[in-house]
Amino acid sequence: MTQTPPDTDDELLLRMRSGDEQAFVALYRRRQGAIYRFALHMSNSATVAEDVTQEVFLALIREDCGYDPGRGTLSGYLFGIARKLVLRRLERSRSEVALGLDGEEEADLIELAASPDPLTDLTRKEGIAALRRAVQALPRRYREVVALCDLEEVDYAEAAHALGCPIGTVRSRLHRARALLLEKMHQERSPRSVGALRPVRCWI
Amino acid sequence: MNCRDFWDTMPELQDGPGAEAPPHARECQACAALLDELRRLEAGLRSVAAGCVRAEAPARVEARLLAAFRSEAGLAAPHSRRWWSPLAAWGAMAAVVAAAAMLLFVHERRPAPQPLTATELAALDWADGWQEEGDVETTPGEFIPLPNAARPAPSEDVNLVRVEVPRSTMIALGYPVAADQGEDLVQADVVLGSDGLARAVRFLDE
Repeated sequence: MTQTPPDTDDELLLRMRSGDEQAFVALYRRRQGAIYRFALHMSNSATVAEDVTQEVFLALIREDCGYDPGRGTLSGYLFGIARKLVLRRLERSRSEVALGLDGEEEADLIELAASPDPLTDLTRKEGIAALRRAVQALPRRYREVVALCDLEEVDYAEAAHALGCPIGTVRSRLHRARALLLEKMHQERSPRSVGALRPVRCWI
Repeated sequence: MNCRDFWDTMPELQDGPGAEAPPHARECQACAALLDELRRLEAGLRSVAAGCVRAEAPARVEARLLAAFRSEAGLAAPHSRRWWSPLAAWGAMAAVVAAAAMLLFVHERRPAPQPLTATELAALDWADGWQEEGDVETTPGEFIPLPNAARPAPSEDVNLVRVEVPRSTMIALGYPVAADQGEDLVQADVVLGSDGLARAVRFLDE
């Protein structure tokens, strides 16, 4: 018995355009999670992520959404809209992301700082929390490439479409972003840097 | 191969932690150490991703988008008939009177309802005065509950309609309006509940 392959995004979009509600629901459920998480990684705000996800799919519902299959995937296009919306929200809030640490996170950081090698524990709870904060403190152009390629596992071509830049730029930004993350993790080894992290401001 | 050539191949992206070192890294301790760090960083990033892989938009976003999709496609909500029938019986309710008065004065064409954003929903939730008696203190840009209107349930699918109404409408909600400005038009956002009844309003250019 052969299984029918699932509809592609473009097929679902076509059916959706002709008023097929189930096609819209299927497309939304397939893509909303990644869009929501990308907005969440970028903004560090569940409210912003929710608004952005809603706006992205509202744009898709409108007939003049401007998606062109010849220029890239629908997924890349949706990430591109999400990115613009997040940046607009960040600019509106003066591009300032304050990363205050609560007691538990600070304890995690102190524990990590006591570790001789901060990279050893990156898969443990405190290491993950510290790395997540380091990602959120990256400058915007590096944070978005890490959020897309590393956290959402979007391929370079799709990321390039979403970011509106060449693939080579995606690769070089990712390379630089990882170097910055390593630098950040090494800085956290020193207990002095714990105070310096509170709050972190990210000027984009 | 020198160190620069080695890093131009971006070896950190090719294999995970514990993978066999490329030939250059077996000869160059500095590159081997950096490569090892980058691979551990990559593993850490995978752990960050795994930690939030289940994060997704709340169900209310899908409900709002479905309402918008139906509106855009000209489709009726499946449950709309069920709701419109009892609506006639509630015609005497003050909330309906208030809503009808508001919507009867709509100037020109009425735009399609738009789902509220999470921010607007939060503003609606914070609006004071739901089912309270007496005067309600009004804050510019804040939603004001209509008289006798029920507070939307947290998961309720609410929509927003932007209308233009005569400024005199604001008097009923406690705003001071000069006599000579009563016929001026002001923009207002009206919140419609899932039953189609107006629940709250905010004036955009007070």
